[in-house]
Amino acid sequence: MSIEAINEQLLRAIGVGVALLDLEELTFRFHNDTFSDWFGEPDPQARLTDIFSALDAAALHAGLNDGGRYTTETSFKLRRRTMTVAMDFNRALDGGQRIAVLVCQNITRIKELESMIDSYSMMVERNTREIKREKEQVEKLLLNMMPRSVYEEYKTFGVVTPRLYDPVSVLTLDFSDFAGLVATLDPGVIVSELNDIYSAFDRIGEQFGCERIKTIGDAYITVSGMPDAAPDHAMSVANAAVRFLRYLKQRNDSHPVKWQCRIGISTGAVIGSVVGVQKYIYDVFGPAVTRAVRIRAHAEPMTISADTTIAEMIEAKFSRESLGTKDLGGGEEGEIFRMDVIAEQNSGYGLAQ
Amino acid sequence: MEQTLFQKYGGFSKVSRIVLDLYDRLLDDDEVGPFFDEVDMARIVDHQTKFVSSLLGGPASYTDDQIAKMHRHLAIHTRHFDSLATILAETLADHGMEPDDIEAVVKAFDQRRNLVVD
Repeated sequence: MSIEAINEQLLRAIGVGVALLDLEELTFRFHNDTFSDWFGEPDPQARLTDIFSALDAAALHAGLNDGGRYTTETSFKLRRRTMTVAMDFNRALDGGQRIAVLVCQNITRIKELESMIDSYSMMVERNTREIKREKEQVEKLLLNMMPRSVYEEYKTFGVVTPRLYDPVSVLTLDFSDFAGLVATLDPGVIVSELNDIYSAFDRIGEQFGCERIKTIGDAYITVSGMPDAAPDHAMSVANAAVRFLRYLKQRNDSHPVKWQCRIGISTGAVIGSVVGVQKYIYDVFGPAVTRAVRIRAHAEPMTISADTTIAEMIEAKFSRESLGTKDLGGGEEGEIFRMDVIAEQNSGYGLAQ
Repeated sequence: MEQTLFQKYGGFSKVSRIVLDLYDRLLDDDEVGPFFDEVDMARIVDHQTKFVSSLLGGPASYTDDQIAKMHRHLAIHTRHFDSLATILAETLADHGMEPDDIEAVVKAFDQRRNLVVD
């Protein structure tokens, strides 16, 4: 067998579609078996554009005249499968006649893979968005339970080192006759009322640099001076306390359920830490908390009580009226004061009552 | 967390081969293939990718309602569903999936029978 015969056999049998075109008429001079398998047997008179109706003949001529080359893609159905073929035209001369060599590569699999990657990446991206949203919800929940700096520490190290904060000021609040309200009101109403009130307290506290630590039933505890130290921590809780009372008074005027709260404020040291392993909670405890709770016990409804230490720290803006020496628990006694905001200095704070 | 079959059999890099193989076999099959006659290639591939991913516990999942809605306009009969179950099992076996796992996948597939068969 001659080299030419071998070459022709090879050209007929390879998995690439090959055709020779007369460039003047765009008719076929030769095509191999793969080409006719894909596109059918062209008639002797058939032109390229008869078989590939979407082909832009002008662009083909321009490309071949310009750089001698033109590439495009075409899709067709072979049985029910969509085939995609990359077509590469190259200008050539055959005994002085202008011809083009057309080489067709089957890129069907590449197109199918591209579609699969598109499909998969869209699924993954959607899942990623969902995971991100869930992560944000978890973060939001945890940020409700602990200050951001503590949360960051917990996220990074998986644990939180208990820390002493000194000095800070603590505000504790509870409601008079809470047991009576619970007995007479629908549980749903109680929860919704507390939710409303505590949310308002949280907002007010935030304005004054207080960090709400927890609520236990009708007891609400907020602290100023932690996790970041604040020089005016005592004034912060006192100002928040006044606003709490003012908010409740206004609310009571327009709501059927009348809430009477008592507030105790104190200053000193607290320890802040995440407590628990499975059901963990961020908590603060220590002398300032214990003391604030005991001071609160001596407060009259809708008033703020304080001990000497914190009363002196806020005396520039709060007048005090002694309630006498009281038992502060653990065998300790101390003078307790009812604190009232000094009227003429209120205007700047908008606290006039 | 328990490993899904999707993870067990090598994640998307391996599952992608199952998907394309299944695609080839479905189009070649004269029972199931005609359902895809007039469907765009990208849509069929998208469908197969999600179908295999969801069956193997990959990043796709469909509610029963979604499956029912997607197949409502097709006249799918028992023999079509059975053919697809056979092709699915063969494809998974040819890609080295263990018989117990294949059984679990085909069972999960079969549980959706009533959602798509007329």
